[in-house]
Amino acid sequence: MTKPHPKIRVLAENLLAFEPGGKTTGASDANAIFHVCEKLRPQLANLTGNVGFRALLSRALALAGAESAGLRLLHVKSNGSLEGLEELKEKVAAKEFLEGEKILLSHLLGLLVAFIGENLTMQILCEVWPQLYRNDRSVGNGGKNEKAE
Amino acid sequence: MEEKMKKQNNAAKKIPRQPASDQPGKVTIRKLPTGVRGLDEILGGGIPEYSFNIIAGTPGCGKTTLAHQIAFANATVAKPVLYFTVLGEPAMKMLRYQQQFSFFDASKLGKAIRFINLVDVVLEQDLNAVLDEIIKQVTASSPGLVVVDSFRTVIRKAVANTDEMEMQSFIQRLAQFLTSWEATTFLVGEYVQEEMKDNPIFTIADGLIWLWQVTERNSVVRKLQLFKIRGQDTVPGLHTVRINSDGLQAFSRTMGLTNTKAKPLRNRRLSIGIPELDKMLGGGILEGDSLLVAGPSGTGKSALATQFIAAGLKIGEPGIMAIFEERPKGYVDRAANFGLNFKTPQEKGELEILYLRPLDLSVDETMQEILDAIERVGAKRLVIDSLAGFEMALAPGFRADFRESLYRMIGALTGAGVTILSTVEVEDSFTSFPFSHYAISFLTDDIIRMRYVEISGQLRKVLVVIKMRGGNHAKDIREYVITDTGLVIIHPRQTDYTELSTGIPKLCARAVEQAPEPRADR
Repeated sequence: MTKPHPKIRVLAENLLAFEPGGKTTGASDANAIFHVCEKLRPQLANLTGNVGFRALLSRALALAGAESAGLRLLHVKSNGSLEGLEELKEKVAAKEFLEGEKILLSHLLGLLVAFIGENLTMQILCEVWPQLYRNDRSVGNGGKNEKAE
Repeated sequence: MEEKMKKQNNAAKKIPRQPASDQPGKVTIRKLPTGVRGLDEILGGGIPEYSFNIIAGTPGCGKTTLAHQIAFANATVAKPVLYFTVLGEPAMKMLRYQQQFSFFDASKLGKAIRFINLVDVVLEQDLNAVLDEIIKQVTASSPGLVVVDSFRTVIRKAVANTDEMEMQSFIQRLAQFLTSWEATTFLVGEYVQEEMKDNPIFTIADGLIWLWQVTERNSVVRKLQLFKIRGQDTVPGLHTVRINSDGLQAFSRTMGLTNTKAKPLRNRRLSIGIPELDKMLGGGILEGDSLLVAGPSGTGKSALATQFIAAGLKIGEPGIMAIFEERPKGYVDRAANFGLNFKTPQEKGELEILYLRPLDLSVDETMQEILDAIERVGAKRLVIDSLAGFEMALAPGFRADFRESLYRMIGALTGAGVTILSTVEVEDSFTSFPFSHYAISFLTDDIIRMRYVEISGQLRKVLVVIKMRGGNHAKDIREYVITDTGLVIIHPRQTDYTELSTGIPKLCARAVEQAPEPRADR
């Protein structure tokens, strides 16, 4: 199993911070990961179709679930949206929920970088979040993921 | 009646002919570049704007790569490319692989090239919904170019649920809509040629580009054919295609030489670098001639070629040596041994020694390499050493085309004033005097034949000018040696021997002579 590069995690944190609930301590009702995924969905569905997006998110969820067991409560619906966020929020601590969001998004971005490369991934993200800082526009190490210990 | 026809014919003769493009009121069709080297020339200038085209072929022959190359060559923010992907290769996979090619420009994605996935519409809805989705997207962004990849899968899905008329109507409406919206369209699909006669898409299409991939023995040969491009003077026939890190490259059968201007004949004679041989040739080779030097191994063909190039360099005529057997260093060293400096002209860009030996080249791309080099250095002299090596370097599937391609290249180059010296190895027979086992003598204006002869217990070398275009030449069989200054013709004509051409001459007069090269001590 591979862990996303630390810079991908920073990028994931930044994207979550752009969305409602992303800067809170988790006490808010908003689920930043839901909003990020929903914004990415049409962009990526153009490239891979709904089926493709669903497959990518499912894979990211499977990888993330191995790191944070609570994430196993989540499912990807047939339309590609995330299901089970409310249930997860009730069952785990706020800190763990926020961490889970970061892990899941890091894996999703890591998969994108692995498939289409850093440049194109950043290009897609910048189309959705034009406010992404120049500094964020590098996920380092050519986008390669790190081997888990 | 006959009288009337005669009058009509005479009247027709009197009307001065005017090129269509010069006639007032005629529409001028802009031609879009393909971004594929060599393809625009084959197309007769490029892809006609607003045309409705099909890129067809079997899987793996480069259809998607070709579509991407055309897309990247034409995409602008003002006139974007809409790339609809259907069942088959999803855009994400395309992007993963296509970004390996040099033509891929990531900065164009999103604004100038937009990928739109039609999979869900195709899977879940009917042809009308597919058309509606295309119309919606095209209306929203007014693209300059539209690609549907793969269109075949749209049709395949629909065939089960749609009658033929509905299918034809869908294609017709799609074509009309896209053309009306000033989009140049490419439908990419896996088709086999047998489908052409029954499939309405081929009737409706303005352009049909067919790609092949044929395996022959150990090599793969890619070909391209334009079955139709409406309104354009295309280059007919099958053209070689290669896919490398730059994407597709097409090699026109005419090798881009159709527009090469013929040089006026000046009857200038060029020195071959061997004064005595120049005399035998009637003063040298005529500029723009093709000279064939035939002889067995070790007779000095490459030495002669080296001197020919050196003679040109000496008077400021750049040269190209296309070699297939020895390595370039061998030629440079040989020249140095003859006191000829090849290094400096190489450094100055006046001489290129092309070592072409990859073993799976096509004739056309090999020739393209030579032509590119000729253009780069402005070469006036070209050496091909040797034709046998050249043929060996080709993929087996291309060897059948060798003579035809050689014929085209030699004809065009000599017409443009380049003087060519080709060598060919022939096995010495002691019963006959063949010029070449290739039936290529007709390609050449001049032929020099070298051979071994046995004289006084020595295997010596002789040469003779067999053929010389447009001029008289010596008919003598002359002996020569390879010295530290190169090939040198020695002795006046041998009159003491007959049957020199057989290689085993007969002494017909008393010969008191000094051997040209030292005899072995007894």
